[in-house]
Amino acid sequence: MDRKLPPPHAAHDGPPKTGPAVSLSDIGVGLAILAAFALVAFNVHSNMTAAGIQPGFGFLTQQAGFDLSETLVPYGASDSYLRAILAGLANTIAVALASLVIACIAGLLLGLLSVSTAPLARFFALAYVELFRNLPKILVLLVIFIAAVNGLPAIRQALVLGPFTISNRAIYLPWLSDDPRNTTLLLASLVLVPAFIWLWAGRAARRQALTGRRLPVLPVAFALFIVVPGVLATALQAPLGLSWPTLEGFSVEGGIALSIQFCTVAVALGLYHGAQIAEVLRGGIEAVPSGQIEAAAALGLRSGQTTRLVVVPQVLRTVVPPLNNQFANLLKNTSISIAVGYSDLMSVAGTAINQTFRPLETMLITMSIYLLLCLVLTGVLNHWSARIRAREGRDGR
Amino acid sequence: MSGATQSIGFGRLSAWLLRQLSRPGASLLSLASGGLVLTLLWAIADWLVFSAVPPLADPSACVEAAGACWPFWAEKSRFILFGTYPFDEQWRPMLVSLLLIGLSIATGQMAVSGRWLNIKLTAGLWLAGIAASFALMGGGILGLVPVDATRWNGLPILLILSTIALALALPVGVLLALARYQTRHRLLHRAAGAYVEIMRGVPMVTLLFVGVFVLPLTLPKGTAIDPIIAVLIALVFFHAAYFAEDVRSGLMALPAGQHEAASSLGLGFWQTARLVLLPQAIERAMPALVNSTIGAYKDTSLVVILGLHDLSATARMAFSDVAWGNQALEAYVFVGVWFLISCSYLSWIGRRLAARAAKGRNRSA
Repeated sequence: MDRKLPPPHAAHDGPPKTGPAVSLSDIGVGLAILAAFALVAFNVHSNMTAAGIQPGFGFLTQQAGFDLSETLVPYGASDSYLRAILAGLANTIAVALASLVIACIAGLLLGLLSVSTAPLARFFALAYVELFRNLPKILVLLVIFIAAVNGLPAIRQALVLGPFTISNRAIYLPWLSDDPRNTTLLLASLVLVPAFIWLWAGRAARRQALTGRRLPVLPVAFALFIVVPGVLATALQAPLGLSWPTLEGFSVEGGIALSIQFCTVAVALGLYHGAQIAEVLRGGIEAVPSGQIEAAAALGLRSGQTTRLVVVPQVLRTVVPPLNNQFANLLKNTSISIAVGYSDLMSVAGTAINQTFRPLETMLITMSIYLLLCLVLTGVLNHWSARIRAREGRDGR
Repeated sequence: MSGATQSIGFGRLSAWLLRQLSRPGASLLSLASGGLVLTLLWAIADWLVFSAVPPLADPSACVEAAGACWPFWAEKSRFILFGTYPFDEQWRPMLVSLLLIGLSIATGQMAVSGRWLNIKLTAGLWLAGIAASFALMGGGILGLVPVDATRWNGLPILLILSTIALALALPVGVLLALARYQTRHRLLHRAAGAYVEIMRGVPMVTLLFVGVFVLPLTLPKGTAIDPIIAVLIALVFFHAAYFAEDVRSGLMALPAGQHEAASSLGLGFWQTARLVLLPQAIERAMPALVNSTIGAYKDTSLVVILGLHDLSATARMAFSDVAWGNQALEAYVFVGVWFLISCSYLSWIGRRLAARAAKGRNRSA
């Protein structure tokens, strides 16, 4: 069971403040904190100069000199430490997104199974949730990693399953052929499609609020997924060919490789948080009073309508805050990647500490990045969920 | 045994069949999940029993066997539990493990029953247990052979880093919660808030790195600190933030009248906190505290990343023994079973406390 962040607006600050702007206690506490920091700074400085190192962040621009097994942003051993940290950050975000998708799918399936009318399905979901709630995530990760490395075929006997080529070193997928125009197309679509969908959804919501008429949102979103890349491809004259992974001697050429480390971290965190998401969903669904469903039936709503108009909105209101916690926890938990050697932010930081002997600076940077990521994520999610709750509230009245 | 019972039985059966036929989706789901559950159960039984190598068989049979290697468990369990601790002295880590498990279960049972020993006595017992653990593990006194901390492995490391860190984190967390709850000393309120939010916004792994790599730097020149102690300190400060938030939510849930009544009785801040606010707040926060405890206990296994040899590290050492082929699954299953048992006990405490809290709410309502 992971820890919970507080609900977004729970932190009210007690009774109204009275007294002078700065009290004696403030000065005392401030001086104590300052003294502690000064003592630590003095000790760190004397320890580091004794080891022949000048404290400071200048090392960030120096050549890192270590390679990363896989990167999303271009990075080589001759690049700077700053760039290495950014490459690690990109890897952290990539694996967080992948495990988020797996966790949501697993959580949704198991959550639905755990409230289904089939007793055996409920038993399966319950057993799964209990198993993963009572095991440490690092153990789950290590077991999946060792199973993948020992169980999957070596690269020369790689398993070809349709478009996938699976070996114990990496899983290969076909991908757009290596061409700068294809890269531009992909990145531009990734930005533009969600932007257009967001704009259209906003327009549809305003229109419905004004006139009561519904504009189609889902069909338009699907159309945008096809139209935007299509228009971009024509405009860029992108070659659009697919590059298929092919086995050539000791390696696989073409396509993209998802390293076994990436895959195991994504699957382990996906399964682990899937159990927690399932539990959150089960709680949310069971919290809907059965009278609501009976009332919907009495009004003549069909089962699908009952789910969409009566159950889901109420479930969303109860599950969104704990789900936000889950997403923040998942992001933080990607830091266990270091145990299997995936080059995430934490493992880049670990390597940098070993090479530079600058643990203070490196950890300050790393923890600030994690903190910032967490604050941004919870900020965005809380803003979004506040809107959902506000809207549901208005509709409900 | 007359026709009547038979016909009732048959009526039930046909009603059941009709019900199944009337909702084919649910029936299919039942069939599919039933198949899945049976397959899984069969696979587990097959691995554990039917294809397994029996405990007294020759270990060399494990190489070809598709099932579990019981000789591995028979031979390596002790190694997974105590690692490279000197073989003849392994009664010491065993005693430490039993002591810490005993203290934890005693505390857990007190929490479940709601009948606490004198708080000072409990704290004293824990402090004595902590001191005894370190004395027994390290030796060097009372004629015990000194054992270097690098050879403290397996279960005692897990228990020292979880139970002791949690036992020490609770009072720190309570103080932090009080500091954040009060608003008279504004800077203290802000500082406690900032501390708790920062700790909860970073992964535990980063804190472990801070403990092992940064903490020694912040000590006066020439002082060394053992990695186990460094990690213990880091864990105390990390868990304290989560405990603080749990206790604070308990404090926030108290009616303002409690505070006002205590003030009108002329109680000072500490008396109010100790006699009026904290007992109620902690009672309310108990289920959340147990949840945090379970999370912290499971996360203790992350110390393997820092090269401390807890259970998952000794398991890896056990299956890396070249004389044994590859029994990785057996080794990790051993560790997994330990965590399943211990976490189930903690979850049981949590459920009991939540049920009691619900009953209390119904009674007062």
